[in-house]
Amino acid sequence: MTTLFTSQKFRRTATQVLFIAVVVATILAVILVGRTNIADQGIATGFGFLSQTTGWPVSFSIIEVGPRSTYLQVLFAGLLNTMLVGFMTLFFATLLGLFLALMRISNNGLMKLAGTTYVEIFRNVPVILQVFFWYAILTHMPGPRQAYSLADIAFFSNRGLMLPAPSLSGLDIVLFLGGCVAIIIGVKATKTKLRVPFAVFAMVVLFAALLLTGRAPDVPLWSVPELKGLRFVGGVTLKPEFSALLIGLTLFGASYIGEIIRGGLISVDKGKLEAGSALGMSSFQINRYIRIPLAFRAMLPSLSNQYIWLMKGTTVGIAIGYPDYFAIVSTSINQSGQTMELLALLMGGFIVVNYSIGFAMNLLNSRLKLKGRS
Amino acid sequence: MLTKLMKFATVASLAFAGATSAQAQEEGLLGEIIARDSLLCTGHNGSYLGFAEVDAQGEWQGFDIEMCRALATAILGSPDKVQIIPISWAQRFPAIQSGDIDVIIKVTGWTMTRDTELGLQYSRPYFIGPFYVMSRTDLGAENISDLEGGVFCVNAGTTVERVLADYMETNAIEYEPLSFEKGEELRAALYAGRCDAIAGFGPFLSSTRVNAPNPDDFTIIGDVIKLEPEGIVVRQGEDDFLDVINWMVSALLLAEENGITSENVDEMRANPPSATVERLLGVTPGVGARLGLQDDWAYNVIKTVGNYGQIYDRTVGEGSRYQLPRGLNNLWNNGGLLYPLVLD
Repeated sequence: MTTLFTSQKFRRTATQVLFIAVVVATILAVILVGRTNIADQGIATGFGFLSQTTGWPVSFSIIEVGPRSTYLQVLFAGLLNTMLVGFMTLFFATLLGLFLALMRISNNGLMKLAGTTYVEIFRNVPVILQVFFWYAILTHMPGPRQAYSLADIAFFSNRGLMLPAPSLSGLDIVLFLGGCVAIIIGVKATKTKLRVPFAVFAMVVLFAALLLTGRAPDVPLWSVPELKGLRFVGGVTLKPEFSALLIGLTLFGASYIGEIIRGGLISVDKGKLEAGSALGMSSFQINRYIRIPLAFRAMLPSLSNQYIWLMKGTTVGIAIGYPDYFAIVSTSINQSGQTMELLALLMGGFIVVNYSIGFAMNLLNSRLKLKGRS
Repeated sequence: MLTKLMKFATVASLAFAGATSAQAQEEGLLGEIIARDSLLCTGHNGSYLGFAEVDAQGEWQGFDIEMCRALATAILGSPDKVQIIPISWAQRFPAIQSGDIDVIIKVTGWTMTRDTELGLQYSRPYFIGPFYVMSRTDLGAENISDLEGGVFCVNAGTTVERVLADYMETNAIEYEPLSFEKGEELRAALYAGRCDAIAGFGPFLSSTRVNAPNPDDFTIIGDVIKLEPEGIVVRQGEDDFLDVINWMVSALLLAEENGITSENVDEMRANPPSATVERLLGVTPGVGARLGLQDDWAYNVIKTVGNYGQIYDRTVGEGSRYQLPRGLNNLWNNGGLLYPLVLD
């Protein structure tokens, strides 16, 4: 027995077990006390309210929701709104960021100056001010009756940008996207030289087929916006709330992403690039096989962070009336009073979205990992 | 847990202080407020004009703020013994549940969910809130159906959102909703022309109109879309505290009904015209002890903040820049819906 206590290994293990036990016990105690207190105050009453109808409308959503939708549907619509504006922001901000990075590392002095000025301006102004700024500009455009028009098929007013759209139903769009994925998978499996043009051609055919067959009789091919009373009917509308959030976040995010990409590109050891040219690689090959993989791996951790940050940044939408997930949860809390449950859902939703981004980036990282290195 | 500790501490400190009056025996939140010598009341995140706004001197002003002061005067004897805690619409229920504030006086509509499921209790309505629609004058709308298809802006998370949705569905009017978390952004959007109309609580609309760059640009349409009783909210189970609130509101109305103002209250106390006034002003005992307060609490309230009509005039009515007519918030004998309870 005494040997047990004198054994260093045993003491170490015992200390660790004891420590974990204390931590677990503390967490459990906090949860239990918290639960009774919450129950005493009547704050939490379970998730039953999710199947109740809300009674209030949502101003913008991809799926159809209204006052008669349940909380679950409305919350889902809010999550989709966040993901829509979030992923579009990531896409455009990355494109613009790449462009900015290339500007700043170019040898052209003017380009360099422009890139640097942009980054310094947009990185140093708080994102919420930028979003307010764009929202104010967009809402101070003329009203719908005095809208700017482009050949009478597209209009721009303080109600947003109205564009003509193909008359496709929601199901058509799902079918089209599904078809595109199928075509890409099919084409990837084949190995002809013409596969890219063929894929594009197949997508166009699919789109045309759906456009011709997928609409009700007597509906024109394209739905064109038209002023009717106080509003435009038909087409698609990019509302100012959505646009302002997208523009503000994209311009802001691009300045950070640009710096991350620039950092990645200049972190690549010059010797490796010279080694590439010594092997007789073209500059495209050097970029494709040496520079970009190495740079990408260097910038991946900060890029994932920035992506996650931008996704969380969509929550400023609440300030300009964009019904993102946070805004919907906030309204739901106020209308139903189920604070604890809704906050849990809010956190859960963002964890799922952000974890997915992190997961996708890690996947990318392992794909790009230099083979043959442990 | 914490509240229990606090209660214990309160009781203990009162015992040491040598409890003298009826106040000390008061338990629960009312006792806590008396022990703390300060009432934690709701303000607003920004301004809800006419009801809770910060003036040029940095002081809170408005109808709801005056009610907070009246309540502080009733319980603690002075309108200064109130702490106004800035709070958004969405925060008010969590804040009261967690004990950050004692009472919600924030034009809060009495709805079934809030009353039954949130562990809250409502006082008798202290304000009758009619909902109207205000539209841009240049649209020439005379009733709400003329605004078919328009963009209607509302405050997010308020009852207006639901009330408007109900009204529009019932009357088969199509509209495009747009909701804002803060009043400032809602007004900015309206003035910029993003909204064709806003729906809301009458006082809110008239204050929004007064503050417009050009008030004539906006017209309040006559259709009342809904009437909402606004109550004062406390946590479920604080019955003593709720009694005080109900009788505080009643005292303000009773004072108006009997023509007692902050100016003539001393005179009235010296020569009470009726037995009710005698009881109200504490000339004959009873009005205080039954609530666990001093007998002169109602006198103090009227002396410092005035009667209901005076508060109304000063904050949102004729005496203010909002010029909101009394309408249904008049006393019953003036064509309104308000009445005092019976003080026997």
